[in-house]
Amino acid sequence: MPEANVHLAVFKSIDPAAEAIGKLRELGIQEDEMNVLSGLPYTSEMLGRSKVWSMIPKFSVAGFLGGFVISLLLNWGTVLQYPLHVGGMPLYPIPTTLVLTFEISMLGLLAFTFLGVIWECGFPSFGKKVYSKEISDGYIGVEFNCPSDIHTQVHEALSALGAEWVHRTEAVDL
Amino acid sequence: MTTKAIPLPQSQAEEHEHEDEVREHLLLDPRPRSELNRMVMEAMQTTTPMFWVVVSLLALLTTVCLFGAWLYMGLTGMGVAGIRRPAYWGMFIATFVFWIGISHAGTFVSAILRVFKAEFRRPLTRAAELMTTFGLAAGAMYPLIHLGRVWVGYWIMPYPNNRWLWPNFRSPLVWDMIAITTYLLGSTLYVYMPLIPDVAMARDRSKGWRYQFYRILALGWRGTEGEWQRLRSAIQIFAYAIIPVMFSVHTIVSWDFAVSKTPGWHSTLFGPFFIAGAIYSGVSAVGMILFLIRTTMKNMDYFIRAEHFDAIGKLMLVFSFTWTYFYFNEYILAWYGGDLSDQYVWQALTKGEFAWMWYLMLIFNIAVPWLTLWNKRVRRTPWMMFGLGFVINIGMYIERYLIVPGMITRNRFPFMWDGYAPRIELLIAVGSLSLFLLLYALASRLIPIIPVWEVQEGQVATMLRRIGKAKVPTISELE
Repeated sequence: MPEANVHLAVFKSIDPAAEAIGKLRELGIQEDEMNVLSGLPYTSEMLGRSKVWSMIPKFSVAGFLGGFVISLLLNWGTVLQYPLHVGGMPLYPIPTTLVLTFEISMLGLLAFTFLGVIWECGFPSFGKKVYSKEISDGYIGVEFNCPSDIHTQVHEALSALGAEWVHRTEAVDL
Repeated sequence: MTTKAIPLPQSQAEEHEHEDEVREHLLLDPRPRSELNRMVMEAMQTTTPMFWVVVSLLALLTTVCLFGAWLYMGLTGMGVAGIRRPAYWGMFIATFVFWIGISHAGTFVSAILRVFKAEFRRPLTRAAELMTTFGLAAGAMYPLIHLGRVWVGYWIMPYPNNRWLWPNFRSPLVWDMIAITTYLLGSTLYVYMPLIPDVAMARDRSKGWRYQFYRILALGWRGTEGEWQRLRSAIQIFAYAIIPVMFSVHTIVSWDFAVSKTPGWHSTLFGPFFIAGAIYSGVSAVGMILFLIRTTMKNMDYFIRAEHFDAIGKLMLVFSFTWTYFYFNEYILAWYGGDLSDQYVWQALTKGEFAWMWYLMLIFNIAVPWLTLWNKRVRRTPWMMFGLGFVINIGMYIERYLIVPGMITRNRFPFMWDGYAPRIELLIAVGSLSLFLLLYALASRLIPIIPVWEVQEGQVATMLRRIGKAKVPTISELE
């Protein structure tokens, strides 16, 4: 969103915020021109929005598989370098290799799940952004991109729905 | 003018009484989010002179007893420790097992109770998760301390090298290292992820160095739909994934013992027995830490209530039963099986030099909890829960002591039997306890100890609903 056209409407509760999203849609604002900021994890269904597409589970699976491959290399690959017989065990004993396989696979899963969040959310992202400190006080912010010819109409409509305030570009340093 | 109180009809009076009782629950006693934020920030930013005295004392104890004693041992040699033939594994390893056990509390309270949607967990999760991180940090030092010449510790790393130490990833000690590393990294990330929205809240209300600190930790969090959904999804995946990791860690720690032929150690029960003991001591320690948080931090009596101590007390009782079950299994098989080596071990425990510790352990871990925790009034009294947690943890430490230097001194070769007297180990154990408490005290003033957004989410989801003549708490599915 080009920052110059970004507006932020702040609501006290979720019901008027969800209605405001519907109203913005009616006024011709596209779905991808809106964003909701909140201090609680409201689901897309509660907000009347389409579901956010996320690849976090895929990151987890990829991490697990990556860890699995590394564990195989450690367990089985290192033996190829120097065959070492331990306590009469075969060179490739499955039971005793399962432990490391499990741990390293899980480490991959956990690390990549976290990295997935970092990657998908674009963290860390400091600098000027549309935000209000009231969001973390439980208010709900509806951020939207609005053509300048209709912004008065939009502001009036959102105020009528119960917005605490509607402003143009509330960029703050985060 | 006189006024006369007209009593409510009995049914209405009962209803009010019932409603008051229900309102004792944190989730049914909501306050505005700004108020919750203010309370948590105030708790975090308020420090008394006494707090700094305690922190200074802990820092001194950590420096002298942990790092000073460790340095002295390094410069002088392992002879200053009590470990010698046959007790090569002494108090260092017993304390290591103890800390790894304590670290199970966070995952249990946070992950397992999250998976089962136990609502009472909400204000407790972070306090418990921090125990995991700091317990692991304290515990993970012990293998290094136990090494002796720690500066050449890399010699035991399994990689091809010119000292002819070739890779062997099938050793329980390597399993240990990898499992603890996985758990430490996993649990640290698991503390951090739900913390992001709360440090963003702290960022919005701070100035100076605190603002910079929270700003960096918050990573630029704004609370967009995408951020929340991804965070939610990741927390959910973590909650499920970290449970088997938690189980594996203490199972592997138990295998350090159980894969050997030492009497008392070589048992198929050791994995689940260690896990039950770990959760038992961990949950008891959560009860202690909750009491300390509630009594030493501002506004915490709103978040941590009698209902939470009650729930923790029930868990302690259940895990006391579980631990006793495993212990009895272990005992009766050795007693009835008739293996001479096992008999000697059990004789040493029940009638020999360790008997006083063994009976003390049974009193602390079984008799005391069973005689007290069935009582709701005991469970709902914070200082009693602190006392019980303390007693149980002493009992659990004794258990670890008896398993490690206790059993190893009664090995299969009577000509190698000998006693064990800890020396510098005692100082180092005090030092590691100080380190844990120091890290916890500092963290309690640096990061929001209560997950505010999770508490508010629970308050939004919980309400009173009338069913017939009664109002009952009802929880909506928000996730």
